[in-house]
Amino acid sequence: MAIAGKRRYTGGLVDVAAGQISREIFVSDEIYAEELERVFTRAWLFVGHESQIPKPGDYFVSGMGEESVILCRDREDRVHVFLNSCRHRGMKVCRYDEGNTPVFTCPYHGWSYATDGKLAGVPYFREAYHSKLDRSQFGLVEVAQLEIYKGTVWATWDPSAPSFLEYLGEFRRYLDLALDAWDGREGGTEVLGGVQKWLIPCNWKFPAENFSGDSYHNISHRSVDLVGIGPSGSGRRDMRERLIGRRLQICFPDRGHQTGAYVLPSEEPTPPAYQHSPVVSEYFRRCEEQRRERLGAWGRVTGAPGELFPNTALHPRQPRSIAVWHPRGAHRTEVWRWYLVDADAPPEVKDFLRQYYIRYSGPAGLTEQDDMENWNYAHAASRGTIARRHPYSYEQGLGFEVENYEWEGLRIPGTVMDVTDSKSSEHNLRNFYRRWAQFMDANSWDELATWRRRP
Amino acid sequence: MADQREAMAQLFLERDVENFLYHEAELLDERRYEEWLDLLADDVRYWMPMRRNVKLGELEREFTREGQDVNWFDEGKDTLERRVQQILTGVHWAEEPLSRICHMISNVQLLAVTPSVLEPADVAVKSRFLIYRNRVETETDILVGKREDGLRRVDGHWKISRRKVVLDQNVLLSKNLTFFF
Amino acid sequence: MINVRTLEPGTRVALTDGSTVEIVSNPKDGIWVFARYLSSPRDTSLVGTEEMVFAQDMVEIQTTP
Repeated sequence: MAIAGKRRYTGGLVDVAAGQISREIFVSDEIYAEELERVFTRAWLFVGHESQIPKPGDYFVSGMGEESVILCRDREDRVHVFLNSCRHRGMKVCRYDEGNTPVFTCPYHGWSYATDGKLAGVPYFREAYHSKLDRSQFGLVEVAQLEIYKGTVWATWDPSAPSFLEYLGEFRRYLDLALDAWDGREGGTEVLGGVQKWLIPCNWKFPAENFSGDSYHNISHRSVDLVGIGPSGSGRRDMRERLIGRRLQICFPDRGHQTGAYVLPSEEPTPPAYQHSPVVSEYFRRCEEQRRERLGAWGRVTGAPGELFPNTALHPRQPRSIAVWHPRGAHRTEVWRWYLVDADAPPEVKDFLRQYYIRYSGPAGLTEQDDMENWNYAHAASRGTIARRHPYSYEQGLGFEVENYEWEGLRIPGTVMDVTDSKSSEHNLRNFYRRWAQFMDANSWDELATWRRRP
Repeated sequence: MADQREAMAQLFLERDVENFLYHEAELLDERRYEEWLDLLADDVRYWMPMRRNVKLGELEREFTREGQDVNWFDEGKDTLERRVQQILTGVHWAEEPLSRICHMISNVQLLAVTPSVLEPADVAVKSRFLIYRNRVETETDILVGKREDGLRRVDGHWKISRRKVVLDQNVLLSKNLTFFF
Repeated sequence: MINVRTLEPGTRVALTDGSTVEIVSNPKDGIWVFARYLSSPRDTSLVGTEEMVFAQDMVEIQTTP
């Protein structure tokens, strides 16, 4: 049911307090069009990794929302993200996936741009344009802000958006779990060659909410747990650290980022992992020892799937991957998946991880295949006329959130649900939609940056 | 006379290899997965690179690399066995209910035979495939490409020692790859 | 007609305006090259400077490197 008025989303379609969300938001073309405008032009989006463009002239074509963008490094070693569209008549100036070039030339009329985005070549500038075209006004459209954080490249079209670090807030500590080296040094990760790209027939918010903290759907992955693709030979991942610690769901209401995490007991070393490979398990053991030493109590925290608002999914550990859910209409998503390793890990470690990653995730991944089946049909079910009258239930764990959570002397930043005993909670999902609804209703970043108004 | 003997041997070998590939397709289409696994050598490598759009002159970047990059598949018999087991659990929802599938194999070419056509021990074979996969109510995928196989003679039978699948797609148009090429 | 994509650095080309240029580098887009003016009846100040030269402004190859 459409609800008119200024607070259509926060005031109706998304009811976080009651834990009810309308099916409309997944299937309405009108809402989708609004999302492109209100979410994807204003948020920070993941574009790629620095290790993909190491040399001047290197480029990697990526996406922001529905739009094609070029991530490149210019001759002065500066990184840029440009809209992949000629300023003259729109043709893509780059139709390759990646490479190295001194210029981006449009095949249609020949306009040519340097790697810093400046319009360098205009055919018949003297003759047809009578030397009158102001070239400085026609460089490639560049993102308003760009941030390289521990190798990851993020961008936003919105000049009034907070800086990336402010956008992250304290969620930064959880993003670090994916991006810092295994031994606890800051950064030091790189992406493996090859970005998986594939189409799934569902709205982007189904995978986004799944990674936000769907702690309830483990049963759907029973088949992969039964056959055992895990790096120690059983299950789908090493479980020991998850069984001896506290299992948490953490969110940041102001920011809309959320994640799972595990906290080990203070007196226990990290359990062994990757035991199918003596080389990898020993490397892990050594790294983990150094990590615990470097990070102190925070070294007891290990990462689990999370979502950085709006559409960047994080897998910090087993597998270690970043995915972007690119919107392709209300009914389709194009997934791009990158896989990360420590840049200085030995080749045997990288190779073991690589093979594990691709049998876990992606369209040939024994785990992700079942997620996609669920998203496909959950989306399809949201389309019916009768179905749309019945909102989805997001009530699980309502009211049991904890601020200032602490365990065995370690304080955990964020709003926390300890699901060790309660098994599951949907509060991370509610948080994702709370933030989504705010973006859909807000007129400016002044309204969205709610943390600035807190005393 | 030797020429004629070799020509005949070549002819028989081609038919033999084709029949083997058709038999393999039959097993897969009939969901006889465990019998299909028996056609694979224990040390089989099964991989499918991803493909990039790259500039003419930079075609060495077109394919992701075996053993180095992220590929769609890059695995041995152990993982393939687990894929089969997963389907047979009955709770692998991406293949439950089971898909309907048809493997059409064509353009079978013998690229190399060692040590000779008269006593073939290892054969390099190239073929093309059109795989039609239909699932649940109206989900349909058509995947087309090439396979570069190594076949090895073991106890009078062929075993697949190596398969490289070259799919003619960039962004994968299917939501999953739960089937075998 | 010249497929500009294949021109090697050092190639000398005659242009439609009577100039002669020498290819410095080729982005291989088939549309532009970077070239240095060796002569220019239209504008002698161009001589010695490097410019982007458009494929349709080229008449013929004079010398190859």
